[in-house]
Amino acid sequence: MEMLVPTIISALLMGMLFALVALGLAIIFGVMNIVNFAHGEFLMVGMYTAFLTATVFSIEPLLTLPIAAMVGFLLGIASYYFLVRYLLKGPMLAQLLGTFGLMIFLRYLAMCIFGPDYKTLEQGVLIGKSIKWGSVVLSYPRLGTAVLSLIAFGIIYWLINRTRLGKALQATALDVEAASYMGIDTERMRGLAWGLGGATMGIAGALLTNFYYVFPTIGILFCMIAFATVALGGFGSIKGAFIAGLIMGLIIDLGGTYIGPHHKFALVYLTYFLVVVFRPQGLFGW
Amino acid sequence: MRTLRDAFSFGDLPLVERIGFAIFIMFCTLFPWVTKGSFDQAVMIQFLIFCLYGLGWNLIGGYGGQVALGQAKNVGMSAYTVALLMVWWDIPFWLSTPLGVVVATIESFVLGYFLFRLRGHYFAIATIAVSLVWQQLFINWDLIGGARGVELPLKETPNFLYMQFASPIYYHYFAFLLVLAAILYMNWFRKSRLGYQLRSITSNEEVAESLGINAHWVKVKAYCITGVFAGMGGAFYTVYYNYIDPFSVMHLELSVMIALMTMIGGAGSMWGPIIGAMILIPLDRYLGAWLGGSGIIGVDFMIYALMVMIISAYEPKGIWGIIEKVRARR
Repeated sequence: MEMLVPTIISALLMGMLFALVALGLAIIFGVMNIVNFAHGEFLMVGMYTAFLTATVFSIEPLLTLPIAAMVGFLLGIASYYFLVRYLLKGPMLAQLLGTFGLMIFLRYLAMCIFGPDYKTLEQGVLIGKSIKWGSVVLSYPRLGTAVLSLIAFGIIYWLINRTRLGKALQATALDVEAASYMGIDTERMRGLAWGLGGATMGIAGALLTNFYYVFPTIGILFCMIAFATVALGGFGSIKGAFIAGLIMGLIIDLGGTYIGPHHKFALVYLTYFLVVVFRPQGLFGW
Repeated sequence: MRTLRDAFSFGDLPLVERIGFAIFIMFCTLFPWVTKGSFDQAVMIQFLIFCLYGLGWNLIGGYGGQVALGQAKNVGMSAYTVALLMVWWDIPFWLSTPLGVVVATIESFVLGYFLFRLRGHYFAIATIAVSLVWQQLFINWDLIGGARGVELPLKETPNFLYMQFASPIYYHYFAFLLVLAAILYMNWFRKSRLGYQLRSITSNEEVAESLGINAHWVKVKAYCITGVFAGMGGAFYTVYYNYIDPFSVMHLELSVMIALMTMIGGAGSMWGPIIGAMILIPLDRYLGAWLGGSGIIGVDFMIYALMVMIISAYEPKGIWGIIEKVRARR
């Protein structure tokens, strides 16, 4: 029982990162009703970007955040203009397998370049440190990640709800034709949605690098977590993504502690399964 | 009688396709006599196994338009049933295979019954989720070998009951017979009531339902048939390799490979899965053998992924779609 409080706190911290991961997927889905299977791979690219810049130039891992965000943004835009734009014209099957192909491509590209090994960062402001507070031990990487995830989440939330650009994005999400009559360049907005989705994943990846292994096949795990989170929160809902991210953090960490570490991700899939079968609109969906 | 006639008559197909089919049959029949290389023969058997998987997946993924990414678990369940029955109680292949197929089909039925309440991407993600759960379970389940897998005990002499032969030629012909049966089944299927119902659902589910088709039930039936194909393939895989583990028969990569292959060849067409397997399997094996020594991994998957991206962006009907376009232009 004395494990409960620290586990819950650590789970909520992790949940903020899951919320950020889910946010990227929710933006893309909200704007154009397409599911991005390559989402987890964007995170993987973010992780490798952060890892490489941090080790090659031996700079502080947290300073790689903007670079990872930029790489993610460009990757998202490129995916839209070179692939997704054409996929949208095709049937459902082509849309699903198209982004699925992108996922497989990025995954094995990383495998090909970096090999299947697990890598970790060894130096950084946050790495390996923790703060003790009564019985609660908080590791710095998790704490820092949670805070920065929250900030990134807040910025993107502000961008979407309070700026002209965000309004245009929302208009495109609601009705593409009407938005284009109002003079909004919907094509650019869709590209932007992919860019934003990619950028959030770049940031999430760079943050995750501080306390998690970097390896090429990490994508599918986070992709499934993101799908489960977004399904739980309601596809396309940003508020839902946040709350569901926290819930997902609790499910994973409490499950890992009390049921067994082997099965904690099975719980994620089970959650997804139960949600889509019994409450397909999610917690905050329409 | 009608059923048999439908299955065996290819008369409604254009002459070119019938000639192509005849060449395919001749090629597969003569192959073991022309080539003596054991690697080539192994690739050929792989190709036949994947034809079987692909023909099955084409039912739900192609004709049914449902992106089910969980073929591997049906393959795995049947393969494990066959292997474990033989290891534990020494039950021969011919008795355990029907059981394995039944297990795979029941899994399909239960899963399909719940999952076909979902549509489109919800369904696709759910099938991935379920496959990952099974994969985890099989890797961590010590009773059935866990991550080490199951090895089949070898008999002293070649044994027909246990499908243990001295020469790969027997496996080749057995796999070829399975593929032929599958092709005949598909030939019947595309003219059958179920086939028409399934295609009508794919083109427009609302209209199909308004015509009195129970879409949910039709999809579940099609998914079960897909399970039968995968189960057969899994059972054969077990006796051919004499060894299975969760990474070779239960893994998501296998499901992905089957889906990509069918998509590249042309989902929803009679010959699509075979064309896809014809391109991907030799590419995969020879490229793997060629690159294997250099230590570069993943190039093969990158090539399929590129092909799939290009095909789904420009020609969602796959290579078969291109062939049909060329034919229509003439």
